[in-house]
Amino acid sequence: MNSLERVLNTVAGKPVDRPAYTLTLSLYGARLTGCPLSRYYTDPAAYVEGQCAVRETFQPDLLFSPFVLTALGEAFGSRVAYFDHYPPNLTRPAARSAEEAAAISLPDIDAHPRLLFLREAVRRLAARYCGEVPIVGVMVGPVDLPPLIMGLEAWYEALLFDEDTARKMLEKSCRFFIDWGNALLGDGAAFLALPDVFSNPTVMPRRVVRDLAMPALAASFGEIRGPIVIHHGGSRLAPFIRDYTALPNVVGFVVDARDSLAEAREGLGAAPVLLGNIDGPTLHQQSPEELQVRCARILADRVQDPHFILATSAADVAWDTPPDMIQVVCRTVQENGKRGL
Amino acid sequence: MTNDLSQELLKAILDADRGEANRLIDEWAARHGYESAVTEVLTPALEAIGQMYMKTGEATLAQGYVAGKIAEDVLTKVLAARQEVGAGDAPLKGPVVIGNTEDDYHPLGRKMVAAFLRIAGWEVFDLGVDASPSALVDEAVAKGARVVGASAMMYSTARNIRKLREEIDRRGLTGRLQLAVGGAVFKLRPELAREIGGDGTAATALQAPALFEELWNRSLALESQPGLKEVLP
Repeated sequence: MNSLERVLNTVAGKPVDRPAYTLTLSLYGARLTGCPLSRYYTDPAAYVEGQCAVRETFQPDLLFSPFVLTALGEAFGSRVAYFDHYPPNLTRPAARSAEEAAAISLPDIDAHPRLLFLREAVRRLAARYCGEVPIVGVMVGPVDLPPLIMGLEAWYEALLFDEDTARKMLEKSCRFFIDWGNALLGDGAAFLALPDVFSNPTVMPRRVVRDLAMPALAASFGEIRGPIVIHHGGSRLAPFIRDYTALPNVVGFVVDARDSLAEAREGLGAAPVLLGNIDGPTLHQQSPEELQVRCARILADRVQDPHFILATSAADVAWDTPPDMIQVVCRTVQENGKRGL
Repeated sequence: MTNDLSQELLKAILDADRGEANRLIDEWAARHGYESAVTEVLTPALEAIGQMYMKTGEATLAQGYVAGKIAEDVLTKVLAARQEVGAGDAPLKGPVVIGNTEDDYHPLGRKMVAAFLRIAGWEVFDLGVDASPSALVDEAVAKGARVVGASAMMYSTARNIRKLREEIDRRGLTGRLQLAVGGAVFKLRPELAREIGGDGTAATALQAPALFEELWNRSLALESQPGLKEVLP
């Protein structure tokens, strides 16, 4: 059974030889190939080389397109800074307010260099691993794109104090999200994965979630021609996960490492795929023994769950994580998770 | 909660109703003045939100943001009222220095901390985003600050605060200049504060004034009794 078959069976709830697993190793590929991040996040060939190294070294069942959300901000005119050992940060948003952002033209998804980088990386990964490993198209949802264009504060201002402008911005954001998501799927992404921040009730008041965020997600997800996975975006998701189940085309959820998988499964019902439950950025802080025990416990806990994928949550696995620690996760699944077909 | 108006203010903040919040503050100030509005109406409401956030998780980050904006609104009115009566606008506490740590470009939490510190009477020098360790310590020394606050949103940039710790120690300011650390990542991983050399942290911006008060007093105590360094946490 190869990775694609394993993941597709997991989505369908069919038997697998072992549970599928993945770690967010978008950044880590650059460490494996020794590629400077300013090149890694701009040159599709360099990125793909890094992901091939990830696949060869760790054999994850899912590979990711560049986890560099700031590239979307750059496409709208925001500026970013590059660093040696972690992904770029937004330094200057393209707009100072939601009103200004709503007036910015949408970038051409077939021409803007930052978007072409992302698309070309997906195309090359999909061609390289066709029929073997599914490629996850990493992007942001329509409610989480605006901070990449105007910064967090201006988006808070609009969502909380200026609903009309927030709606205008969301309309624009939804249009981009639909075109962009379908483009990535057309380029070969098997799934879209979106960190979701602003529709989480620990971040925004229920009123904003109900009146602005969820309607935008529902309307735009319905236009996406492929499956979507919602990522917890840094907040706990399990207590509210039921609220997302009615959204169209959503097939899976990545929960926070603090979430209970059992609680999440109860909220979701039997079918959607559940991914987690190891924190990626702090992977290196545990001992190999602790990590091995944790992974084994998670696998034992989910042994009856045909829709489970062991995965890291939060951001990328940190640059200085020793490869041996990542191997602990991989080996534990490969050795302890075997199931008779 | 000390009075009904604080309860109403709390509700307005939780509903993100900035207009109503300002109306309530103005209503109290018309009878008792803005200084009194801070202590009698705003502060109890802010404390209640802090408790909700910490203990029950009922308050959202956005509601903390709304509280910060309302604190800014009230501070503007307090300062205007002081000017009107010729009382000047000299702060009561501090000075302190804050900034986002090196490579961190997420200003929102830091701005909220600045708002809550100022409303609590602190003089705040804010160096903005991507503040280098030397710039933060230089400013603290120049202004006579006993507390420097470093903010980071993500795990990757939070680890840069260690360089600020080293800079403070290298200049022989250990204990004299206390290091407050904060940001979203510390809420998720409170143990990180100690790992990167922080002297203290707070889970929310609302609790920053209490933290700075504690660190300021610790700095004073350590200066007057250097032997305390060995026993204080």
